[in-house]
Amino acid sequence: MKAQISTPIRRVDAKDKTSGAARYLADMSFEGMLYAKAVRSERPRAKILRIEVPRLPEGYTYVDASDIPAGGKNKIEMIKDDWPVFADKEVRFVGETLALIVGPDRGMLNRLCREVKVEYQDLEPALTIDEAESLKGGAIHGTDNLYADYNLRKGDPEEAFKKADRIIEDEISTGYQEHIYMEPQGVVARPEADGKLGVYFSGQCPFYVRHAVAGAMGVDEEMVRVQQAVTGGAFGGKEHYPDVISTSLAVAARKVGRPVGYFFDRVEDISYTPKRHPSRTTFRTAVDERGNVLAMDIDVKLNAGAYESCSMVVLQRAIFSVNSVYDIQNVKIRGRAFATNNVPSDAYRGFGAPQGLFAMEVHMSHLARTLGLSDLKYKSRHLIKKGGLTVTNGRIHEEVKLPEMIERIDEMSDYRRKVKEFKKGSWRGVGFSMFNHGSGFTGNGEQEIIRGVVKMRKRSDGLVDLLVSNVEMGQGLQTTFRKIAAMVLDLPVDQVVYNDPNTDLVPDSGPTCASRSIAIVGYLVQEAAKKLKARWGEEGEVLVEHRYAHPPRLHWDQEKLDGDAYPSYGWGINVIEVEVDPLTYEVETKGIWAIHDVGVAIDEKVVEGQVDGGIIQALGYGSLEKLEVKDGRFQQRTMADYTIPTSMDFPRIKSALVDNPYEYGPFGAKGAGELVFDGAAAAFADAVQMAIDRDISRIPVTPEYIMEVYEND
Amino acid sequence: MVEAYRPSSLEEALKIRADKGALPFAGGTDLMVKYRYESGAVPEYPAPVIFLTHLEEIRKIYSQDGELHLGAGTSLAELMSHSEVPELLKEAVRTIAAPGLRNTATLAGNICNASPAADGVCALYALDSRVKLSSPRSSRELAIYEFITGPGKTELREDELLTEIIIPRDRSTTRLFRKVGTRKANALSKLSIAAAARLSGERVDEVRIALGAVAPTVLRSVELEKQIQGLSRAELSERLEHFVQSYEAMVQPIDDQRSTAVYRKKVAVNLLRQFLTSIAA
Ligand SMILES: Cc1cc2nc3c(=O)[nH]c(=O)nc-3n(C[C@H](O)[C@H](O)[C@H](O)COP(=O)(O)OP(=O)(O)OC[C@H]3O[C@@H](n4cnc5c(N)ncnc54)[C@H](O)[C@@H]3O)c2cc1C
Repeated sequence: MKAQISTPIRRVDAKDKTSGAARYLADMSFEGMLYAKAVRSERPRAKILRIEVPRLPEGYTYVDASDIPAGGKNKIEMIKDDWPVFADKEVRFVGETLALIVGPDRGMLNRLCREVKVEYQDLEPALTIDEAESLKGGAIHGTDNLYADYNLRKGDPEEAFKKADRIIEDEISTGYQEHIYMEPQGVVARPEADGKLGVYFSGQCPFYVRHAVAGAMGVDEEMVRVQQAVTGGAFGGKEHYPDVISTSLAVAARKVGRPVGYFFDRVEDISYTPKRHPSRTTFRTAVDERGNVLAMDIDVKLNAGAYESCSMVVLQRAIFSVNSVYDIQNVKIRGRAFATNNVPSDAYRGFGAPQGLFAMEVHMSHLARTLGLSDLKYKSRHLIKKGGLTVTNGRIHEEVKLPEMIERIDEMSDYRRKVKEFKKGSWRGVGFSMFNHGSGFTGNGEQEIIRGVVKMRKRSDGLVDLLVSNVEMGQGLQTTFRKIAAMVLDLPVDQVVYNDPNTDLVPDSGPTCASRSIAIVGYLVQEAAKKLKARWGEEGEVLVEHRYAHPPRLHWDQEKLDGDAYPSYGWGINVIEVEVDPLTYEVETKGIWAIHDVGVAIDEKVVEGQVDGGIIQALGYGSLEKLEVKDGRFQQRTMADYTIPTSMDFPRIKSALVDNPYEYGPFGAKGAGELVFDGAAAAFADAVQMAIDRDISRIPVTPEYIMEVYEND
Repeated sequence: MVEAYRPSSLEEALKIRADKGALPFAGGTDLMVKYRYESGAVPEYPAPVIFLTHLEEIRKIYSQDGELHLGAGTSLAELMSHSEVPELLKEAVRTIAAPGLRNTATLAGNICNASPAADGVCALYALDSRVKLSSPRSSRELAIYEFITGPGKTELREDELLTEIIIPRDRSTTRLFRKVGTRKANALSKLSIAAAARLSGERVDEVRIALGAVAPTVLRSVELEKQIQGLSRAELSERLEHFVQSYEAMVQPIDDQRSTAVYRKKVAVNLLRQFLTSIAA
């Protein structure tokens, strides 16, 4: 039976966003605001010998590392602090910020930036994983170019390999992906009347920005006030990068004593802001005489770019996901994140999981193809069940509904019949992928690092203030958070007030990322609402708070990366049907089906929005979004050349949900935001494999690549 | 700031063009991209611009002596909905960008921008089109392949405007237009083919084949077409691979951010073979 909370309501932000009334950062006015423009590195790797600044007209100011206030530091405090606010001795990637020029006219700023002459001593860049591994040009980071190097072990792989009937090797790789969020990056920094530094931004994590700005400026965090502006989209691209812009803008705003804004141009945004980590995963898989997997030896490599940022955590998720929904008894996994002279790789919807899941799912389909077995039957033999052991030796604590979901999606898509009907190599294909996604921070991060707090206040006018630091960024939080609170309090949704967060007014309930907003923070909202309800009868204002506590029964050892990597998982299956044109190798997608277990949908329409958006974004990743690097520069820098899907490229998605309530989720909900991205690329690749009867081993699966595998066979 | 002129007649437009060296601005969909400046900054054009598409003299579509004259100011959308515009051209234009852009962009702009990947231009090559160029003192006509000389390069003189596109009646019986784009809409061509043939009975009377984005300009070989013309369909069938190979030797694409030379060549040849096969026995 469908939960009552799942019944859709009109999205709270729908009217403002569709009518144009919503005020994005660039629509806001700040009296006396000047604009900033970055002087950027032209070289992927070089020593800075000399910078010659042109004579600036009146009203224009040059801002660089020497302007960082005493007590502050030229470091951006993110998860690591290796990324400088302003490069002053060396540059590590094309586009790195050397300085800002600040002034009133943006045309003039463009001209002035071009006139800055930088004398470089070029060093040999390492751009690919291989170049980084062989330390081309010397190490960029440490002595080995590794931001992180992890090893996982489950069972006894060495012993299992000895029993192998056959060992099958495979290599799968994935490319860059650019976020193309609705509006490009933007930040305004303003010295405020109360002596604080105000930061207004489009993004996901107000408290990250506060922390980074306070660190660079050398002030207490309370002296920085961060206000999120209406954010049209982020997808992880505005998780850490706003820290990079805000820190330099804060220095500039302090220097000139006026508000300073930086609104990225789309080309600038595509060229210089972080991307999804490219990956290469190799498998050595031992199978028995029936083809069943005995053991796997897996090596995951990520191209992490010029600064570390959050690559270590992305790598963790990539390796934790690399067995996907399969229970392989004996596994050895090594994962490494390599420093290269590219734009730093960073968070993007899925955070490493899409790379790991894609590799495993495609590898499983390759095994089935190599062994001449049915793809679905083969995969089904290896499915993990409740109580099953994960690659970090944690348990799956919830019921795994995949068998039921397989039957449902088969009915919806007619998958099994189509597999029989379309012959391999008939230019028609149907692909199948299964996947899961852990909600929330890895391991005990929610407990040890975030410790999220939610506050709720009954006002004397009867309205309820929901005080959280999580943001609406198109994913529907304005609607779903209100629904959770209103449902518990038995109030109409519009009596719950939830404003775009301001760090002076809300507690730190953590960043908006990692599919944690509903699964983790939504639960805190529900529990806070329960507390408030218990005190509803009290006169006047009532303020309650609720703090995160790790669910019992979970254990985690961060040193060893051992235990329950995630408190709960969302699960999904995608089926995709294609036709490949034998003359042009173009792929026409004929059908897309999806089924997901997100626990309980807080709002079916909101989840459907996530499903549609996530799958199309993943199909862009899987088929269209080629992003190549040449001499450290992205070659596709405009929206004409970096091609995300249009509404003409893919047909309407048919999707369904199964309920599987999670005890520690609000109304039983688990995370959905990233899960829905995780499977479509693999299903697409699988469908193309069948159509051309050749293995597909990398994405994007462009017509050029299809031609290559078809012709070179 | 951009200096801009909005003349009230073609005569005035030609005068401004000649006197000020003004840059013709039709739909602006190539120009605004070419001279775009980063957000919030006023674009910088190398010369004053002169708006054209409102001028009645160049907004007409009419037939004369069996040939269709398309005024340079007509939009792609207008041309698509005109009954006398050849199907091959309509099919090509339909693949350009999306409806919004086609409402303002012009075929004249597509020609004068002189991109080897211009979709309208590819069809115009296959249709034996000509362009009319006018200056304050005179006017002249050039075949489309004489007018376009290289990527971004044309024979347009500094005092001239392209005023008309002239298309002989297309009497073909078999046609193919195919654009292989970077995606299904709002896409630029990786390569394209526009081809037309007239069959009478078992004979190939006429054939015209243009390939886009596989050479510095749209590629058309009148030489090869002459060799095909007059053959019986069976003879064409026999010599098909010979012709395919001759075309293949001429196709010299490049690697760029949209595709690879290898792919462009292979697929252009595949499509060409498909077309020749469709007219052969
Ligand atoms: C999003 C987008 C998608 C696009 N997709 C496609 C596509 O799919 N296929 C394709 O072929 N093109 C495409 N284009 C390119 C462009 O839209 C076309 O080339 C269009 O036909 C140009 O026409 P216009 O009237 O806008 O030209 P303008 O930009 O006004 O002019 C283009 C050039 O022609 C010159 N010019 C214009 N009119 C005259 C004249 N009468 N006399 C002399 N010179 C003149 C101008 O000075 C300029 O150099 C796309 C562009 C964009 C922005």
